[in-house]
Amino acid sequence: MSTKPDVIRKCLQSACLVGLLITGILSLDCNLLHFHLRKVTWQNLRLLSSTSSSFPVECLRETKAFELPQEILSHTQPAKRYIKEAFYEMSIQAFNIFSQYTFTSTWEKDYLKQIQIGLDQQLQYLEQCLEEEEKEKEDSKELEEDGMNWSGALVPQLSNLELRRYFNRIDNFLKEKKYSHCAWEIIRVEIRRCFYYFQKFAALLRKK
Amino acid sequence: MLWSQNASPIRPQNLYLVVYISLMFGVLSSLPDLSDQSCTFKVTLRNFRVILSWELKNHSIVPDRYTLQYLVISIPDHMKTVEHCSNITASFCDLTDVWDVLSETYAVTVDGFRGNTTLVTCFIDFFLATHISLEPPEFDIVDFTDHINVNVNFPPVIPKILDGKVLQFYLPLIIEEQSGGIVKKYNPTLDENVTGNFTYVIDNLLPNTNYCISVYFKHRNLEEIHRSPVKCTLLPPAQDTGSSESAKIGGIITIFLIAAVFISTILILKRVGYICLRNDCPNVLNFHNMSSWVFPEMPPLEAVAFVEVIHTNRKKKVWNYNYDDESDSNDETAAPLTNTGGYTKHGLVGGLLGPTSASSATWEDCLEPYTEERDLSEPEADTEPLMALGPKPGGSECTSGAHEGRGKLLQDPFSEEDSSSTEESGDKIIFNVNLSSVFVSALDDDGSEGPPASPCFPEETYNLEDSHRLETSFLEAPGEGTQPSFPTPSAECPWPEDVLSDISDSSESGVDTGDGYIMR
Repeated sequence: MSTKPDVIRKCLQSACLVGLLITGILSLDCNLLHFHLRKVTWQNLRLLSSTSSSFPVECLRETKAFELPQEILSHTQPAKRYIKEAFYEMSIQAFNIFSQYTFTSTWEKDYLKQIQIGLDQQLQYLEQCLEEEEKEKEDSKELEEDGMNWSGALVPQLSNLELRRYFNRIDNFLKEKKYSHCAWEIIRVEIRRCFYYFQKFAALLRKK
Repeated sequence: MLWSQNASPIRPQNLYLVVYISLMFGVLSSLPDLSDQSCTFKVTLRNFRVILSWELKNHSIVPDRYTLQYLVISIPDHMKTVEHCSNITASFCDLTDVWDVLSETYAVTVDGFRGNTTLVTCFIDFFLATHISLEPPEFDIVDFTDHINVNVNFPPVIPKILDGKVLQFYLPLIIEEQSGGIVKKYNPTLDENVTGNFTYVIDNLLPNTNYCISVYFKHRNLEEIHRSPVKCTLLPPAQDTGSSESAKIGGIITIFLIAAVFISTILILKRVGYICLRNDCPNVLNFHNMSSWVFPEMPPLEAVAFVEVIHTNRKKKVWNYNYDDESDSNDETAAPLTNTGGYTKHGLVGGLLGPTSASSATWEDCLEPYTEERDLSEPEADTEPLMALGPKPGGSECTSGAHEGRGKLLQDPFSEEDSSSTEESGDKIIFNVNLSSVFVSALDDDGSEGPPASPCFPEETYNLEDSHRLETSFLEAPGEGTQPSFPTPSAECPWPEDVLSDISDSSESGVDTGDGYIMR
């Protein structure tokens, strides 16, 4: 067994941790949230595409449509808060799915850890910004907007529910396939596709 | 390979940072290996067309035709056969109208045949968002003095795969301008429905400077860039426009300065008195009467008259107080002529018309009644000089109308000097008398001089009151071909009394041009 890949993996892991921490420290400004979200999401997407092997031909027979929510696919322009909440939901779900990786697939373990680190940092960023928005909404004038948003907040809650259902389908698929190699390959492709739409979704935070 | 224990200690933090940066570059810049064991695939966006090309790794295997199939991994389905990519000899295929979603993962199978035998089967999957290679679009440039128009050729219909603000977000167009080692990048904003030629203007450029332009798509998340071939141009110099404008401005300013200097000089000279400007223009510059200027009036006729001298020999009559003397006739009114002082005097029998203007005092005709000389309308052998007065062609200042009167010209038959041109026709001497060179003397009252004969014209009645008018009528220059009108007296030839008193019909007296010399 060669020790060189192990050394590289250790260095890679440490470097990524340092880099992400530095990026996280420098990017706590909620005004730059969209930049951070877009960048981290794209990095995860690229990591999911950097597998050395191509999709197995034999796994083509086990593919499944997981039905990503239409709100994400249609590129509509919902409220900023909904976008943040959607990001938060997606990050949590994806993080949980990748946490179930038992390293029995052909993926590189380090790549998967990098993805988890990015998602975790993204979650921390989102939590901070969402709390700041909650504090701002405690103003008396915004109570009326809350009333208005309360009725509108039902829509984001429903959309988050759809996201949860989406990731539940993914999780169930893994369980049904017993976390097989083809299942993980299929999930990898699907989550990569999800990350792509969320990256476009993050651009909407910059416009508003 | 184990770390060497003798390796110099390096701070792990710096090492991590360096490794992190290098790894990030490596991860972001490297494209996934789109190859299986048999083929190498490449997906290219060429002129806004999605082109899939492949190449067999084993060059010994040379299929004569290929068939391509694909499916979308996220959509469970069977492999789909692309009709225009079936049994093709080329190793590439246009899938623009087939692959229209950039976020999907496409699984592709390419079978190589030779005859009915499948030589090779290649399979690949790729995620277009990260696997597509962006080739630069076609463009051309139009250079001007201080700016360049960059025309990028977009298709009339944007492929569906680039819908949804893909061009604006994922595939921004970058225009590079290079000049003198300085590179500037421009990111033009593309509309969502940009079609046809897109023109971007690079302005604020320096004339007479070389600029090189290149265009490419920069994938937002990919470091790999495919730049277009550079197109260079040398901007024309700005002298033409600048020089023309500056020349115009300079010319206008120069004209104004010259005019100002000229006017100020005139004003100064006028104020100083060096030049005196007249308010009235000379007649030459008087253009009010243009008609007279274009068609100048005939100058007043000079006192030139055509005089026909008809010689008549008359004997000097002596008054014998014999009333029965028939010789007392009007015919004998020829006054003798004297020759005085070198002048040839031609006495005119008749009343003087009085002083006239200097230019017109030549027309005196004192003629005896014309009635007795009617027969003189024909040239006769009568040597008595008679003067047929008529206007000289070209006008005479003494004639103002038709004048056919005749008078007598007192001619000195002994005069050898004749300042007037004469021509003889038989017994009749016709000569032109230039009245401007003729001095006419008024006859005295002593009777020595024959009183000038009264101008008698059988046609019209001469009125004494009309003497001045007559005078003026003689003075007026008639038109060419016209004859001045002249009031002809009746047969009795009324004449001014002051003149008639000096006139004797039968008397002929010589003209004494002594003191009574009248100067014109």
